[in-house]
Amino acid sequence: MEIMYLMIGLSLFMAIGFVIAFVWSVKTGQQEDLITPAMRILQEDEKNTNL
Amino acid sequence: MSIHTEILEEVICYHCGDECPETPIIHQDKTFCCHGCEQVYELLNENHLDAYYSCDLNPGISPTDKNFDFLNNKAFRDRLITFSNADFSKVSFHLPAIHCRSCLYLLENLQKVNPQIIKTSLNFGKKDLTVWFKEDQLNLGALATLIASLGYEPHISNAEERPQNKDQKKLFLKLGIAGFCAGNAMLFSFPEYLGIDDGSLQALFGYLNLALGSVAVFYSGSDYFSQVYAHLKLRKMTIELPILLGILVGYGRSVFEILSHTGAGYIDSVSGLIFFLLIGKWFQQKSFDFLSFERNYKAYFPLVVTRMANGKEEIAPLEEIQVGDRLLIRNQEIIPADAYLLKGQSQMDYSFVTGESELIPIQAGQSIYAGGKHLGESIEIQLSKELNQSHLTQLWEQQAFKDPHHKTENWENFANKVGMYFTGILLSLATAAGIYWYNVDPSRWSNAVVSILVIACPCALAVSYPFALGHGIRWLAKFHFFVKDIQTFERMAQVDTLVFDKTGTLTLQSQQEPSVHFNREVTDKEWNAIYSLVYQSTHPLSKQAKKFLQQRSLIAFSEFKEHSGKGLEATFDDLFVQIGSAKYTLNKLDLPEGFISSETRLFVSINQEPIGFIEFPWENRPGIEAMLHSLRHQYEVHLISGDKKEHAAHLLDWFEDQNHVKFECSPLDKMEYIQALQKQGKIVAMIGDGLNDAGALKQAAVGIAVSDDHLHFTPSSDAILKGSELPHLGEFLNYSKFGLQLIKASFLLSLVYNGFGLSYAIQGNLYPLIAAILMPINSISMLVIATWGMNWKGQALNRFKIRLKAE
Repeated sequence: MEIMYLMIGLSLFMAIGFVIAFVWSVKTGQQEDLITPAMRILQEDEKNTNL
Repeated sequence: MSIHTEILEEVICYHCGDECPETPIIHQDKTFCCHGCEQVYELLNENHLDAYYSCDLNPGISPTDKNFDFLNNKAFRDRLITFSNADFSKVSFHLPAIHCRSCLYLLENLQKVNPQIIKTSLNFGKKDLTVWFKEDQLNLGALATLIASLGYEPHISNAEERPQNKDQKKLFLKLGIAGFCAGNAMLFSFPEYLGIDDGSLQALFGYLNLALGSVAVFYSGSDYFSQVYAHLKLRKMTIELPILLGILVGYGRSVFEILSHTGAGYIDSVSGLIFFLLIGKWFQQKSFDFLSFERNYKAYFPLVVTRMANGKEEIAPLEEIQVGDRLLIRNQEIIPADAYLLKGQSQMDYSFVTGESELIPIQAGQSIYAGGKHLGESIEIQLSKELNQSHLTQLWEQQAFKDPHHKTENWENFANKVGMYFTGILLSLATAAGIYWYNVDPSRWSNAVVSILVIACPCALAVSYPFALGHGIRWLAKFHFFVKDIQTFERMAQVDTLVFDKTGTLTLQSQQEPSVHFNREVTDKEWNAIYSLVYQSTHPLSKQAKKFLQQRSLIAFSEFKEHSGKGLEATFDDLFVQIGSAKYTLNKLDLPEGFISSETRLFVSINQEPIGFIEFPWENRPGIEAMLHSLRHQYEVHLISGDKKEHAAHLLDWFEDQNHVKFECSPLDKMEYIQALQKQGKIVAMIGDGLNDAGALKQAAVGIAVSDDHLHFTPSSDAILKGSELPHLGEFLNYSKFGLQLIKASFLLSLVYNGFGLSYAIQGNLYPLIAAILMPINSISMLVIATWGMNWKGQALNRFKIRLKAE
């Protein structure tokens, strides 16, 4: 049963990683526009910027 | 031969998909409806952006030639530019015309059209375009003009519009973290479920659960604490109180069990419940980012005006003008503040402000009021009042506008009404059971109290309510009926009285051009004679004719006679002109004299010779009569209008009697009309469109603004309805009624559930663990019922509309 301690530790570690990723994505506004990226990916790839 | 058959086909503009006029513009084998569309095509073609036309069929929008140079004014520039350094500037525009994949393609390739644009990024849901550009080489005004010339006219809001919603982000964070806590707490509760007996592991899992549960309760559930606290301060019991009680009792019991090593607690259920409740909250917060429900009169005014200073014209932002300033007002422009007319003469259209559809002639020296639309040659005016002190803005000084909660504060919604009784009954039941068991069998009292509070938590109502109503506003949005929030949706279900505005709501604001069907050429003098004749009459057709002929001039006449119900006649030197019905003017109808045609044609005869008629487009919105007829079975239906009674003759038949119609109302009268109905205990929905309805829309339990032009401008309201969907209003209201019934039914079901559990709980036979398992099952079943029920009815409504269209 000692293996459980390691596994719990690992699973918590991963889960907390996901939570941090989630918080980061919300704070940086990645959840604000869920429509446009889905449309953008279907566009022809020919963009070039003028910079 | 093939050429002949082709002519019969409808010619569609390659750019915008509109029907082309009889002689379309042909360029590179493609047809265009106007030069604007052709130019956009050319521009895109030159810049190798042809793929615009392959994403969607005829995706374009006919462009405007509006000039946005006024944006270079410092006040606008500073407000719009969000970031600027030596290399580039960043600006966001709201482009209401965005509608398809092609728009995305074009707008995100703008840098190909103009090399001074570095890159662009589009937010399709909000219809916002962010542009990074080299401002030293391309100024803001030119950039906006370029975007407008492609068909996407930017909507420049005034400073007060569009508050950003920060709460939504916070709720989303809370929701995510509650989900994390609930999921992991379930994992750590497995040993308990499976009956694994390992003391040290149990203790570790218990502490981990405790940590997770604390985060869920005190961070994710923090809104419940603040809401209950705020409500208790007002001595109100709401649905949140028993929910919080259930959460706290469940959590407290778990803390005790875990710390005293007497059990595993049920943190998983508590955090699961919080997760469900937050999903519901999140779901009900559907917001229509591209709409604004909170506009006031300022949004209707122009952003800039032409000011005359030292004999020169200059462009000035509206905020900068003062009393005494001289302004130049061009045809179709709006008067920004009360003023005197200095030079020129005007036909003033006050229909948006007062509802009166007749044009008011204004001579030099007379006063004009803010909000009027000037028709005619350019005029010069001198301002007599400050912008915010004009006649028009008085309405916004009313109580209803100052108090943002006036609609909700006295409103007992179903959940809160039930919550009040529910809390009382629940608390007394728990206390009674606690006292009883404490005296009879002290080992059972805590079990009994905890199970009662946990199982009876009205989470069913808290879940089914936001889900049913949230689905409701989503479905209605599909039918172009945008409801501000779920509270409005609920109020809609309780409406028993409907009040309609006339101009722009039941009748159409934007009129098509009348068509002339004369059997010979008509000379200028004859036109002037017809104009002079219609000028004398207040008949609705004459009124329209007057508008149509306003470029003509008045000439003198004699022997004027009005034959009531038939027509008019007068002699102009050698001309004897008659206008009126077909019979009166001796015109022979080659069409059967139907209800509609007889009301929309103005026949003319000159010197006893019938020369034909002018046909005016039918004024009523299509489908209105049937709607009014069917609504009368279910609701009390009223008509209020700023117009004179003569102009509504074709509508009066559809209202019950004189007590249900009122004419010549000022905006304030309209508001008071609603107040009077409310004093009689009526729950009123107001359906209007103009600024003159703003007070009534605000006062009514539900204010529905009707809009035709891309939902561009609507006065502040609770819901926005696309004009063409107005005939379906009855079905939409029925849908909201169904939503409330569904909630009530599922609440009854959950009461049965609860009653069943409670009967065990009171006896002290129900283990808190089972109560804690029953609770989420109850919530999920409520969620399923709400979702399924609203979608089923929404689809039925959709099928009904499709069938109606097919007929």
